[in-house]
Amino acid sequence: MDLVLQLLATGLVVGSLYALCALGWGLIYGTTLHFHVAHGAVFALAAYYAFVGQKLLHLPLVVAVAGAVLAAAATGLLIDLLIYQQLEKRGAFRTSIFISSLGLLIVLENVLAIVFTPDPMRMDIGKLNTALIIGPVFLTYLHILTLCLAVVGYLLLMAFLKWSRWGQAIRAVSSNPEMARTVGVNLSKVHLLTYAVGSALAAPAGILVAMDVGAEPFRGTRFVLLASVAVIMGGIGSIPGAMLGGIFLGLLENLGIWKLPSEWQSAISFGVFLVFIVVRPRGFFGRTIHSAEI
Amino acid sequence: MAAYIAHYLVMVGIYTILAVSLNLLVGYAGIFSLAHAAVYGIGAYASALVALKLGFGFWGGLVVAAAAGACAAALVAIPSLRVAGDYYIVASFGLQVVILTVFMNWTDLTNGHAGLAGIPRPRLFGLVFDNPFKYVGLSLALAVLTYAICRRLTDSAFGRTLRAVREDEIAAQAMGKNVVLIKIVVTTISSALGALAGSLYAHYITYINPSSFTLDESIFITSLVILGGTERLAGPVVGAFILLAVPEALKFLAIPDTVAAPTRQILYGGLLILFMFVRPEGILGRGRAKSA
Amino acid sequence: MLKRLSAVFLLLALAVWVPVAQAQQGPIKIGAILPLTGSGASYGVWMKGGAEMAAEEINAAGGIGGRKIEVIYEDHAADASKAVNAMRRLVEVEKIPFTLTSYSAPTLAIQPIGSQNKVVMMNGGGQSDNLANKEYLYNNIPVVSNEVGVLADWLTKEKKFKAAVMIVANDEAGRNSAKSFREKFTADGGRVLAEEQVALDGNDFRAQLAKLKAAGGDLLFISSYGRNVAIVADQARELGITIPMAATSWVQIPEVLKAKGAEGLLTTRLPFNPDSPFARKFKERYKTDAGFFAVQYYSGTKIFAKAAEEAMKKAGGKLDGEGVKNAIESLKAFDTISGKLVFQPNHAAVMDIEVGVLKGGKVEVEKVVKANP
Repeated sequence: MDLVLQLLATGLVVGSLYALCALGWGLIYGTTLHFHVAHGAVFALAAYYAFVGQKLLHLPLVVAVAGAVLAAAATGLLIDLLIYQQLEKRGAFRTSIFISSLGLLIVLENVLAIVFTPDPMRMDIGKLNTALIIGPVFLTYLHILTLCLAVVGYLLLMAFLKWSRWGQAIRAVSSNPEMARTVGVNLSKVHLLTYAVGSALAAPAGILVAMDVGAEPFRGTRFVLLASVAVIMGGIGSIPGAMLGGIFLGLLENLGIWKLPSEWQSAISFGVFLVFIVVRPRGFFGRTIHSAEI
Repeated sequence: MAAYIAHYLVMVGIYTILAVSLNLLVGYAGIFSLAHAAVYGIGAYASALVALKLGFGFWGGLVVAAAAGACAAALVAIPSLRVAGDYYIVASFGLQVVILTVFMNWTDLTNGHAGLAGIPRPRLFGLVFDNPFKYVGLSLALAVLTYAICRRLTDSAFGRTLRAVREDEIAAQAMGKNVVLIKIVVTTISSALGALAGSLYAHYITYINPSSFTLDESIFITSLVILGGTERLAGPVVGAFILLAVPEALKFLAIPDTVAAPTRQILYGGLLILFMFVRPEGILGRGRAKSA
Repeated sequence: MLKRLSAVFLLLALAVWVPVAQAQQGPIKIGAILPLTGSGASYGVWMKGGAEMAAEEINAAGGIGGRKIEVIYEDHAADASKAVNAMRRLVEVEKIPFTLTSYSAPTLAIQPIGSQNKVVMMNGGGQSDNLANKEYLYNNIPVVSNEVGVLADWLTKEKKFKAAVMIVANDEAGRNSAKSFREKFTADGGRVLAEEQVALDGNDFRAQLAKLKAAGGDLLFISSYGRNVAIVADQARELGITIPMAATSWVQIPEVLKAKGAEGLLTTRLPFNPDSPFARKFKERYKTDAGFFAVQYYSGTKIFAKAAEEAMKKAGGKLDGEGVKNAIESLKAFDTISGKLVFQPNHAAVMDIEVGVLKGGKVEVEKVVKANP
């Protein structure tokens, strides 16, 4: 029983990380229909921005982290501005956007590998590393922070989408771009904003992982992959779905190894996903598919 | 120097088989699979295992590999019957990860991370293909064979039906085409050929382990197809010749080993982005591609 | 189009069908396939340094049979595929007669290539039991079951441990040493309650450690090596695992010696004198403490020099892998800076094994078990 509780706790923490990535990726995908795998590069870059801020520029941790989130948001925005929107101007197909995103992911990850080497870059997180014991469960303060940030991120995003003017513009574009354009919404600006917000959500995830086990150049690929799985399971276009999908995946990965050998962790999550996609492609809360064809 | 060229040509042969067979799926059937490296791996392991554990030679291994690939085709086909486009891409990612995890962890069969060593080189009437020079003929011959098979397929009525399905699946179905059967046939052929490449690879390097069949490898094979051009069957061939020359060319610059691998990747990734801007239809594409 | 192209290349292939021969002039080239990057980079620093120093000394003394020795370093980064590619390049293009090698899985992967092409391989670091009894492969390090046996004996008989759990690297070396530990520990009357596998290059082992914690036991055996051992030790303590941990000598790299979680580790040691002239020269040159593996690769290179000299004498100045192998077989014993090294019939070495406790970054030795060849 102790073990199950520990795995449950770890699963929620990991699920929070996946949820943050999924919220960002899902927002971007739902609004722009870009298969933005380079989101994984933004995830990785955010970690390095924070690392550089703290270790090379000697900024206090909080400042370094805040700066990193802003820098990540800017990075995502620039990717859309300089690559995707330029391709769209040239009449590119959605596959071309995906391929360019893939190319970008590869380039950025490998640049990081050259500059920082593939070895993990650790940060000083001081007290956050202290372990907290709740009954049979061990967590560090960093893990608690992760849980909180996921919830906060989700609530902020929902509030933003529901009540702010820009949030409503995003929703309009997400549900019907043509109509939105007709009523005067500037699609290009909305896309840029979406990328900024989505990237700002991935950043904390990347930074939190880096604070825990160090920043690594290639970790983002796995996270963006899982984010896309989470979004599909939650249902494309559904923000609560993405959140749930992420948490569900985290729990699945960790509780899955309660009785099964732990080296099969990845196979369990993706295996379940494969069955799921054949049985209910629409996901928990999604619209029926016709908008996601190439 | 000559040894470098021979090795390069052997790899061109292997990757031609991989890229052309993938193009059947991507360019002709519209099924964008990122699990081709897993299929490649299944062929490699199947062939290596029957050689090491049952004493089969290369030729037997080749047949077993193709059969294994054909069976694995079911895994590639089933999601394609339910979803397409971006959903399928994610499903194929998932398939790739699951199969790789099996390679890594079913240690009783695959020896896991340690891999399988001592895979025998092919023999034919007493001649042993024991260095790259001898292997070149074998590799290129199989590549030509693969190309010929795929050419036959795409030029036939079946090929036309494939394209119809890719353009508009619903319309094709309305016209009475059995879309399910078509998808199953094309994935079976594609996977059998991809697995064949695995056998060729295993008996050449004489050692395989899971790290040769990862998602990165799938992405690499996909870039051969995209950069060469999906419209024509010969596109991936050109892609193979060019992209495989990159690491060899890099060797002549004095780049330290630790930086060489990421540099190569940056070049590949950069090429992908560049091509999407200037020539998305690929080197051999004619005009703007209608779809992937 | 392809048909035309392939005809052209077929012609090219025939045109370049050249016989494979070895250079008999110029420097003697040998290979060194080492973990220069990745989780085992610390070993790489020692191994490369040792080989480099040996090569320089050999050349300063006039080389081998008048020819200088040149070491070609290749990085396998713990990936056996890379080792295989490096080996093929070294054998087929550089035509080496001999290579230094490291790690278990990479060595096992290259062994068939060496044996087929008559190239001698000298392993100074890998310890899987499967490395013994292989053609053309020599290990100037004892296989792991020797150390594991001594460790298990000490843990059960003197330290009175009864029930162990194991965390195991999911590669050849990790799994082999775990198998060996399980056999020896149970033979000594202990029980192994649970086992969890981890990736060598991973950095989050909390799920596996949680499962091990739930299994209980009074000892955690770490059957892994390289950087992840430090992470395992730290995360184990973080999760509240308070039972003592044990591991064999290969974990003693700087990252682990410094790790807080590794304090109190029960471990074995292979003979190494940190105050020897070699160690001091190494520290001066590479600005880091020498370790056991530095000596190993220094010795491995010197052993080659001796064997090559012998081979050239017998073959009138000609040098090839077969000659080196025959020389090693006939000489059997070699003088090294850590004493006399004797290759056993199984192509491995035996050494004295020490056991002790890791305290403050150093191993406090409690007992020495003499080697019995």
